[in-house]
Amino acid sequence: MIADEPTFARLMIASQGGDRRAYTVLLTEAQFWLERFFRRRVPPAQIDDLVQDVLLAIHAKRATWDETRAFLPWLAAIARYRWVDHLRRAYRSSESELGDHDAPADSEEEAVLARMSLDRLFVQLSPAQCNAIELVKIEGLSVTEAAMRTGQSESLIKVNIHRGLRKLSALVEEAD
Amino acid sequence: MPPRPNPLIAQLAGELEPVRPLRMRHGLALVAIATVLTIAAIALWQGLWSGPAKGQAAAIFFIANGLIALVGLASARTVVRMATPRVGARQDGLRWLLAALAILPVTALLLMALEGAVGRHDHATDGLNCFIAGTVSGIGVAAALILWLRRGAPVAPNVAGFYTGIAAGALGSFAHGMSCPFDTIGHLGIWHVAPVAMSAALGRIAVPALIRW
Repeated sequence: MIADEPTFARLMIASQGGDRRAYTVLLTEAQFWLERFFRRRVPPAQIDDLVQDVLLAIHAKRATWDETRAFLPWLAAIARYRWVDHLRRAYRSSESELGDHDAPADSEEEAVLARMSLDRLFVQLSPAQCNAIELVKIEGLSVTEAAMRTGQSESLIKVNIHRGLRKLSALVEEAD
Repeated sequence: MPPRPNPLIAQLAGELEPVRPLRMRHGLALVAIATVLTIAAIALWQGLWSGPAKGQAAAIFFIANGLIALVGLASARTVVRMATPRVGARQDGLRWLLAALAILPVTALLLMALEGAVGRHDHATDGLNCFIAGTVSGIGVAAALILWLRRGAPVAPNVAGFYTGIAAGALGSFAHGMSCPFDTIGHLGIWHVAPVAMSAALGRIAVPALIRW
């Protein structure tokens, strides 16, 4: 089971104070949490890179967590920020299918995850933008293939990706 | 499931040093110091207008400068908070405050159209001077906020840049406004609000590249 909010907060307070053992546990738990957070929106082959990227960000920006606020919304904001960055850089991967690799999870964790999930960002996009980003940036299709699949022109696919990513970027913090 | 060993975690834990958490009050203090120093520099350079102390200033002087200062403080507070990210942070209240500020130029333009009030009470050269001085006076606040954001982890750099511009323009215009003896709606509503708009545009364009991480 992944650590809950009070455990994360306790570990982070100790980590900010320089406790290396607490920090190791914190990062390990954060790794599990992030793997689950990303699993439906990132191809499996890219999850490890993205999780490592976020762990580095946590390390570099650990002073920006304020103990008077909850830990998981802080972690989710950083994870979303790195994810949007990742989408911008996303390359076509040979392993592009999103697998059915859901691990069993307890319902409380799922509820917390769902509240801050990446899906909550996608519902703010238009269906055409959502489709274009999912097909090209997540599933790894080419622009031509995505155009054929959706019936949109290639230039419209590019415009929808550009506008969609810009909107996602603006929503990283605002969307619940 | 046993934890998978991750060499990165061991490395990061090995490098761990204690850190002092970023506190909002420190960011606000930084902005307050930058604003006070700006007002002090203006007082030394060209002196503050004595009209308000002598009871000679019109009501619009207090209303306009008060509203501009309020927009500056609220924007600065928003920017300071944006250095510590979290999901669910919204700026709806601030947007309404910006809409309230827009009443000043809208009123000035309406009067200009209906009565020619701006032309009667104000000279474009004085207005242009206030616009330039108000915009330049925001540099200190902008620098303080950019410094703060670079220490933090802003996850919406474009929005942070926009509000940094608003805060700098508003507090700079407020600081300059303490030295300006023109207290008409035509002057204050246009030339003292224009720095806010100009700085917002500059902030939106220039700041994101400086704070991205």
